[in-house]
Amino acid sequence: MTGGLTRVGAITRKEFRHLVRDPRSLAVVLLLPVIELVLFAYAISFDVDNLPTVVVDQDHSAASQAYVRTYSASSFFDVQGSATGLAQVDDLFRENRVRAAVVVPAGFGRAVAAGEKAQVAVLVDGADVQAARIGQAYAIALNARYGAQLTAAWADRQGIATTGGIGLLEPRSRTWYNPERRSSLFLIPGLVVVIIMIVTVQQTATSLVRERDLHTYEQMQVSPLRPAELLVGKMLPWTLLAFLDLSIIVALGLGVFGVPLRGSVLLLGVASAVFILACLALGLIVSAVSPSMETANVLALMIAFLPSFLLSGLAFPLGSIPVWLRWLSYAFPGRYMVSISHGVFLRGAGFAELWQPLVQLAGYALLVGTVATVLSRRRTS
Amino acid sequence: MSPARIRLLVWKEFKQLRRDPLLLRIIFAMPVVQLIMFGYVVAADVNHLPTAVVDLDHSAVSRQVEDAFTASGYFTIDAHPMTESGVRPLMDSATIAVAVVVPEGTQAALDRGETAPIGVIVDGADGQTSGVALSYATQIVQQVNARRLAGTGVDTTTASGLDARIRVEYNPSIRALNSMLPGLIGIICMISITVVMSQAVVKERESGTLEQMFVTPITHTEYLVGKVIPYTLVALAQASLVAVVGVTWFRVPFNGDVVAVLAVVVGLLLFMLTALGLGLLISVVSRTRHQAQQTVMFLLLPAMLLSGYIFPLESMPKVLLPVAYAIPLTHVLAVMRGAFVHGAGFSALAVPLLALAGFAVLIFGAALVTVRRRLRGPDVPVPPQPASSARRGSRRRRTGRRPAPRLRVVHRGRRNQLRGPPRRGLRVPRPQRLGQDHDDQDPHRFLGTQRRAGPGARHRRRA
Repeated sequence: MTGGLTRVGAITRKEFRHLVRDPRSLAVVLLLPVIELVLFAYAISFDVDNLPTVVVDQDHSAASQAYVRTYSASSFFDVQGSATGLAQVDDLFRENRVRAAVVVPAGFGRAVAAGEKAQVAVLVDGADVQAARIGQAYAIALNARYGAQLTAAWADRQGIATTGGIGLLEPRSRTWYNPERRSSLFLIPGLVVVIIMIVTVQQTATSLVRERDLHTYEQMQVSPLRPAELLVGKMLPWTLLAFLDLSIIVALGLGVFGVPLRGSVLLLGVASAVFILACLALGLIVSAVSPSMETANVLALMIAFLPSFLLSGLAFPLGSIPVWLRWLSYAFPGRYMVSISHGVFLRGAGFAELWQPLVQLAGYALLVGTVATVLSRRRTS
Repeated sequence: MSPARIRLLVWKEFKQLRRDPLLLRIIFAMPVVQLIMFGYVVAADVNHLPTAVVDLDHSAVSRQVEDAFTASGYFTIDAHPMTESGVRPLMDSATIAVAVVVPEGTQAALDRGETAPIGVIVDGADGQTSGVALSYATQIVQQVNARRLAGTGVDTTTASGLDARIRVEYNPSIRALNSMLPGLIGIICMISITVVMSQAVVKERESGTLEQMFVTPITHTEYLVGKVIPYTLVALAQASLVAVVGVTWFRVPFNGDVVAVLAVVVGLLLFMLTALGLGLLISVVSRTRHQAQQTVMFLLLPAMLLSGYIFPLESMPKVLLPVAYAIPLTHVLAVMRGAFVHGAGFSALAVPLLALAGFAVLIFGAALVTVRRRLRGPDVPVPPQPASSARRGSRRRRTGRRPAPRLRVVHRGRRNQLRGPPRRGLRVPRPQRLGQDHDDQDPHRFLGTQRRAGPGARHRRRA
């Protein structure tokens, strides 16, 4: 047994020497999390506001100007100027200069004064879906509100009693766990998952395949090493690095970016350990099925990066995707970990709330570990 | 440059690809998988959000609000907690994502003609949901207002008001795939070209075939062209596959005319040059394939995140916009989306196209220069080929052909090797440098174990 430990230690040392000799890879493994963190914290968000907007006011009346002012007053639309006609709006859309256009046809002021329905149009650019979706919703809400105001004012002028219930409902919104709705608060806990998956799956897969490619694998097989010792020794450094990455992200997230850690730290630790095991097993599977470096590389990219980003609930809610894709998402460990990570960091959840994903993750790790052992044994024998 | 030799190189490259059937399958499955994932996940409309309604008013208006939320399709009402404090555990366990609270006395306040607040609580931990949910909730409440107004006896058909038409141009149903697909074509070109190209040269160098290549009559330009052509073809095939699947299967419309198609082609070609240049640069600069792959990862991730592909550029801080515009992907996305969705032609897309042209010249040029400098190997001219081709430096033209170095056979280990005088500027890794690894590769020395006799030692130990 002690012999086994020294042998594992030797392989681990060898792996670390490889790493030290290749500072660029090491830098990537350690710097990538930091760069991603900064990007996710500062650069990226879904919160579209200040949508560049152009106004086509063909009425030039006091009423139309008052109407247009509601757009400049809202923080969502950023009125950047006016256009003369629809043709110019089209050009502006095509040149990507504006994303929305408010069109007030001639006769708007007269219609309002006469108590008729005044016609307006809001055009939203559909090329950017996120912006279009929110822009459409805001435009509808803004117009409904303004229309109700116009009606109320008109009824007042007509002397119609408005006590019959023309009071308006006003939505007061609160955002729990993340009152300023900063994307970074939910992106950073999820980022942990993406980074660990990339580091562990891709690195273990490629480092094992590389050993085979360079024929050093055979050399090691004729040494007194047992296959299990070799695997443990190969994976230990990456496990340590993954934990290091995890610590860097958590420390920076908590210290610099103000991510709260409200729940059970123990749960987070346990879950991360299980998650890393599952990822290592995935890496092992990739290395066992890939005949070459390129294949391992691309396969790992496909297994590690895309699903951890798209099918984990990190940024895109899993509730709205088609059912078959939701089922597919259970095949990747990211979704369990993301829900645990979000729960612990933001919602202050503990074992009581999160036992379900934890058990699922453990079961997943067990399953993938078994498959990996079987596959790699078949491969080596 | 001899077309025959280039054809040979291309042929070799394809043969190599075919030897790894899994890779080939992945190369063509990946774009489709990406298309499906991006198409269904990123494109998914936020709807059927699990919602709780806390009705403290039990009035006509509270029922009206609840009905409006259900009818919208954006919200699915799963729970009716009796008090506001009942919301907390539901949200802590992520059972619900939205809660609507109708306070006591809402109906009474409305009847008095006052403005009554209605609480909308969203889960800020759940991705993009919170923002979208809030804007939908606002929209629904305003619609309830408008409907109530219509029902209060004021004849709203003749009343003053707004007849607002809110129209989403170019993509009326706000189908995300319609703008995702054109972007994806650009992304796939980038990923597949850069990833594979970055391995191309470094792989041959690692396995030592690069030296072999350069003792053949193949010149550097031929070598480069031979390397570039197959991967460009593969990337073009991938891009067309995505475009065809997207347009026929997912029914993504192409709103432009022939000019727009031309703009797409020009933009993609320029972008491919950029990606090829980038891949080549990485390949030449890296010592091992592993390193090359790391570098690609390092560059691709931020590029994808900052290009506006998933996260809109409008939501980016103004300080970072110059960084976003320094990424070629941003411009190719503008071209692709412009042509597909807006149906824009050359004049509207002049800025991104010019930017792409600039990148192509800059990056591909840099790659060419670096490759030539790094790989300046034994450019032994072949007898039938004239030496004075324009590629060669003027110095060499003056001195005529460089004499082929004298080669001799040395015995090294069991193998005979050809050795010659070191060539000027030869920077191909030499056997000695690879030999540094020998210490590590000898497991006995490294493991501190006794050297056993021969490969059968292990079996003997087991026995």
